[in-house]
Amino acid sequence: NAKKRKDFRTLTTVINAGQHILIEGEDEDNPYVAKVIRLFGDESGKQKKAVVQWFVRVSEVPLSKLKLLGREPHPQEIFLYQGRSCDDEVNAESILRPVQVKGGSYWSFWTPLCLNLLENLQVLNSDGDDDEDEFVPSKKELQSSSDEEEEEEEGALESDEEEEVLSKKSRRAAAGSCTPRSKRKTTSTSARTPRKTPNKKIPPGTPRTPRHATPSIPSRSLPARRPGNVLEEARARLHVSSVPESLPCREQEFQDVYSFVESKIVDGTGGCMYISGVPGTGKTATVHEVMRCLQHAADVDEIPPFHFIEINGMKMTDPHQAYVQILQNLTGQKATADHAAALLEKRFSSAAPRKETTVLLVDELDLLWTRKQNVMYNLFDWPTRRHARLVVLTIANTMDLPERIMINRVASRLGLTRMSFQPYSFKQLQQIIMSRLNKVKAFEEDALQLVSRKVAALSGDARRCLDICRRATEICEHSPADPFSTGLVGMSHVMEALNEMFSSAYITAIRCASLQEQLFLRAVIAEFRRLGLEEATFQQVFVQHRALCRVEGLQPVSVSEGLAACQRLGACRLLLLEPSRLGVLQRVRLNVSQDDVLFALKDD
Amino acid sequence: MSKRTAKDAHLPVGECVTQVQDILRQRLCHQRLPDKPEGVESQHRHLLELLKRTAIHGESNSVLIVGPRGAGKTMLLKCVLRDLLEDKEAQKSLLQVHLNGLLQTDDRIALKEITRQLHLENVVGDKVFGSFAENLGFLLEALKKGDRSSSRPVLFILDEFDLFAHHKNQTLLYNLFDVSQSAQAPIAVVGITCRLDVLELLEKRVKSRFSHRQIHLLSSLTFTQYLERVRTQLSLPDGFPDSRFAQDWNDGVKTLCGDKSVEEVLQRHYNSSKDVRSLHMLLMLCLSRVSVAKPAIKPADLLEASRLCFADAKANMLHGLSILELCLIIAMKHLNDVYEGEPFNHQMVHNEFKKFLQRKSNSMYNFEQPVILKAFEHLQQLELIRPVDGSSAKTQREYQLMRLMLDHSQIMEALQKYPQCPTDVKQWAMSAFG
Repeated sequence: NAKKRKDFRTLTTVINAGQHILIEGEDEDNPYVAKVIRLFGDESGKQKKAVVQWFVRVSEVPLSKLKLLGREPHPQEIFLYQGRSCDDEVNAESILRPVQVKGGSYWSFWTPLCLNLLENLQVLNSDGDDDEDEFVPSKKELQSSSDEEEEEEEGALESDEEEEVLSKKSRRAAAGSCTPRSKRKTTSTSARTPRKTPNKKIPPGTPRTPRHATPSIPSRSLPARRPGNVLEEARARLHVSSVPESLPCREQEFQDVYSFVESKIVDGTGGCMYISGVPGTGKTATVHEVMRCLQHAADVDEIPPFHFIEINGMKMTDPHQAYVQILQNLTGQKATADHAAALLEKRFSSAAPRKETTVLLVDELDLLWTRKQNVMYNLFDWPTRRHARLVVLTIANTMDLPERIMINRVASRLGLTRMSFQPYSFKQLQQIIMSRLNKVKAFEEDALQLVSRKVAALSGDARRCLDICRRATEICEHSPADPFSTGLVGMSHVMEALNEMFSSAYITAIRCASLQEQLFLRAVIAEFRRLGLEEATFQQVFVQHRALCRVEGLQPVSVSEGLAACQRLGACRLLLLEPSRLGVLQRVRLNVSQDDVLFALKDD
Repeated sequence: MSKRTAKDAHLPVGECVTQVQDILRQRLCHQRLPDKPEGVESQHRHLLELLKRTAIHGESNSVLIVGPRGAGKTMLLKCVLRDLLEDKEAQKSLLQVHLNGLLQTDDRIALKEITRQLHLENVVGDKVFGSFAENLGFLLEALKKGDRSSSRPVLFILDEFDLFAHHKNQTLLYNLFDVSQSAQAPIAVVGITCRLDVLELLEKRVKSRFSHRQIHLLSSLTFTQYLERVRTQLSLPDGFPDSRFAQDWNDGVKTLCGDKSVEEVLQRHYNSSKDVRSLHMLLMLCLSRVSVAKPAIKPADLLEASRLCFADAKANMLHGLSILELCLIIAMKHLNDVYEGEPFNHQMVHNEFKKFLQRKSNSMYNFEQPVILKAFEHLQQLELIRPVDGSSAKTQREYQLMRLMLDHSQIMEALQKYPQCPTDVKQWAMSAFG
C-alpha cells in the first residue's frame, strides 16, 4: 500500500527522506524550502512530522548578510540555514510538494566566514519548461569561494514522479481538493501549522533588481588637506564629528545599556528602554558605541547575530514615516506608511524560523507623537509579542516624557526600564576634552578648566564645550605672536571665545543704533513710565519722540521717519511690534529690559 | 599736465555723463561689491578663514551673521565668497546652495531647491521629486555617504535665517546642523539674519547642534566716516576714460561734501539711519539730476533729494484730497480730541461736519448725504481711516466704527501746504473746540 496508485497521481505526493520540499509560508508564491532529514509520527501517532534542514531564499536573507556574498545572487538561489533559533520539525500538512535542487554545494549565510561544503546535488528539473529560468553558476564561481545551490520550483504537481506515500492525512487533504493549486490554498489558509512563519513579504514576481543607486555628493578632485600644526590637529580632534576612541565618563551608562541589550539578544526576547537627558550629554553616542561593541561580539560569534536599525524622529517628515523607514532598513522594501505598518505588524506578531533579534534605536522619540499615539503604541507593543525578538531603545530629552505626553497604555508598554543621562560636570567635561586631545598639547591647564567650568555651569552640553575649545584655537592662531606666550591656547583666548558665544549683542546693538533710533527707545521708556504700562501705541511714543527731538535741538521728525526708525528697531527685535499695516496705531513693546536700554544709552 | 590731457582721449560731455551714470548706478543700484569691505575687517577674516577650512580641510562648520538691515551682511558674505573662490583649490571643490527664507517658505520647497542646486535630481531621473519624505531621505542619504576627506564640501547659505526657524519641527535646520556635527559630507551652514534674538528661536536640540558662532555686524560708523563714504561713493575711479572730466567731477564732489548746507543734510540722514541702502537712495536721487547741461552734483540737488526722502508719505496723500474729504478729516481730528482717541463712525463725523456748516451759514459745502458717504469710503480706501478690529461687517456702513490713521501733526502740516485751502476750513482745523 506504500505505492501510490496511478489515479491519485495528480493529487498526492510522496516524499522521502533526503528530498527537498516546499513548505507553505505566508507568501504563496515563495514557499519555504527545506530538505527532509527524517520522517516520524508524533506520540499519538496521528500527526506525521518531519525533521528538516531549512534553506533560505535570497529574499529572506537580510540585506546586510547579502552583501557578504560579494555578487549578485540569482533570484531562485537558496542558501543553507544554520541558525539556532528555529524549530526544525514541521507538520506533514504544511509540506506542499517536492522540488528539485540543482547546483553545487550550499553556502551558509549564518556562519559567514566559513564555507560549508555539505553536499553536491545534481541539477534536476522535472519540468523542462523552466529551463530558461535555470541559473547555472559559472565554472569560475563554482571553483571559487561561492559554492551555491539553487532550486527551481516545479511548474505543476502533475510532473511529480511516483514516490513513497508519506502520510495518509496529507493524501486525504490532497484528495479533498480538486487541483493542487487549490489544495495549497486551502491548507495554507485553514491549517494552523506549528512552524513559525516569517513575515518577510516578497512582492511576487518581481525580479531582484539591485537597489537603485543613491546619489552622493560628488567627490573632490584634490584630497582634503591634512592638519598641519598642533593647533589644527587639536581642532580636528575637537570637532564634534570626530569619533573618539572611547567614551569617557559614560562607563556606567554604557554598561547598563550593553547588558540590557546583550541579555535580550542572548535570550531571544524583546524589551524597551527609555533614555533621557538634555542635548549634548552623549545619549546617541553611547548607544552607538554599545551597538559597535555588540556587533563586534556578534562577528566573533560570542552572541547570536542581530540586526541594528536606527530611526530619528527629526529625520522624518511625519511620524508615520517611521514604519516606512523601519521596513526599509529591515528588508529593503519600499511601501506606503499604512502598508509598512501592516507588514511590520505581521512580521513581529508571527513566529518564524531563523529570526534574528532586531535592535531598534528610536532617536528624538517625542516627535513620533501623534494624536492617537498609534506609532508609539506599536513601537512599544511589538517587543511584548512572543515571537517579536525586538529590542527598542528610545531616546528623548525630557525625563518625564512618558508621564507627560503618553497615554496610559503607551506608557505602560514602554515599561520602567529608564535611564537618564545627567549633564556633564566640569570634571567630566575636562576629561572629555583631554581624552579627545589624546596627548596633543594645545591647551593650557587653566584654560581647559575655565571652559569646562563655564559650560558645566550653563548647560553641561559637551558639544558646546568642544565648540568653544575649537573657537579658542582659532583665536589663538590669529592672535599676534607674543614673545612670552607658549603658543598654547591660554586663558585670554578662551575668554574671548566665551564672550563671543555667550554675550548678548543687545547692548552693543543699542550703542550702534542711529541717533533717532536711540531717541525713539528713550521715548518708549518715557512713555512707559508715564503710562505705568509696558505697552504703548506708536502714536503715544511719537509725541514723546518729538519732544525729545526738541530737547536735543534737532529738527522735528516726521511720522514717516519715526515709523521707519521704529520698524528698524522692530526688525532687530529690540522692540516687539504689531503688524506694520496698523501704522500709527500699532502697539510697541520693549524686548530688552528698561535697565539695559538705559545702561546702553548712558553717557555718549 | 597739459601733455597728459593731450594724450587722453577727450570725450564729449554727453559721453562722459553717460559713463558717470553707468559707473555710479552700478554702485548705487546694483550693489556692486567694494574691493575691500570697510570697517568689518575682523569679521571678514573670521568668515574667510572659516569657509576656507571647510573648502580646503573639509571641516564642517556653522555660523550666523547677525546685523541690522543695511549693515552689509550679504555684502560681507559675497566679498568673502569672491575672495575664497580666488583660491583655485577652493573653487574646484566647493559646492554652493543658496536658500532664502522668503522664497523657501517650507522645508518641502527648500529640499527641492537644495536637490536642484546640488544637481542631484538627474542622478535618478525624476524619482527625486517624489514625496516630501522620500526627498528628505534621499538628501540625507546623499550627505551621509560622503566623508570628510573625499567628498566635495557644500556651502549652505540661508538668507533670512530666522524664517527657517519657523518651519515645522525645524527639520531642515536640525538635519543641516546634525550633518555639520557628524562625520558625513563636509558642509558649512551660513545663516544671515537681522534678528538679534535668533538663537532663542531655535529648539533646544537644534540649538545644541549649532556651533554658536555668531558674527555681529554692528556698524559704529562715525559722521566723519559717513561723509568719507559719501565722497568715495560719488567719486570716479582712476580708470575713467576722460581723466580731465574725472578730475573735475571728483573736485566737484569734494567741494560738495565740504558745503555747510550739504553737511547739515547729511548729518540729518546720519542721525536718522546709518543704513547704507538709504544713503544710496539719497545719492541716487542726486545722480538722476545730472545731465549734459549740468554735469555735476550741486548742493541744491542734494537738498532737493533730501526733501524728497524725508517727505511724509501720509501728509503727501492729504494734498490730493478734495475739500470735502479734508473737512471730514478735520471733523475726525476734532472727534479724536473730544473723545480722546475713541473710535468714531460716519454718522458722528457727519454731525461734526454739519455743526461747522451751521456756524458758517455758508452753502458752499452743502453736500448730499450719499456724497459724503462716498467721500468717507474713499478715505477708507486710502487707508487714512481703518475699521476697528472685530467690528462686524454686518453693521450698516454709516455706523461702522473707525479709527483715524493720521497724527495731528500730519494734518496740520498738510493744511499748511494744501493749495488754496479756504481760510475758514483752516481756522476750523486750528480752533480747539470743533
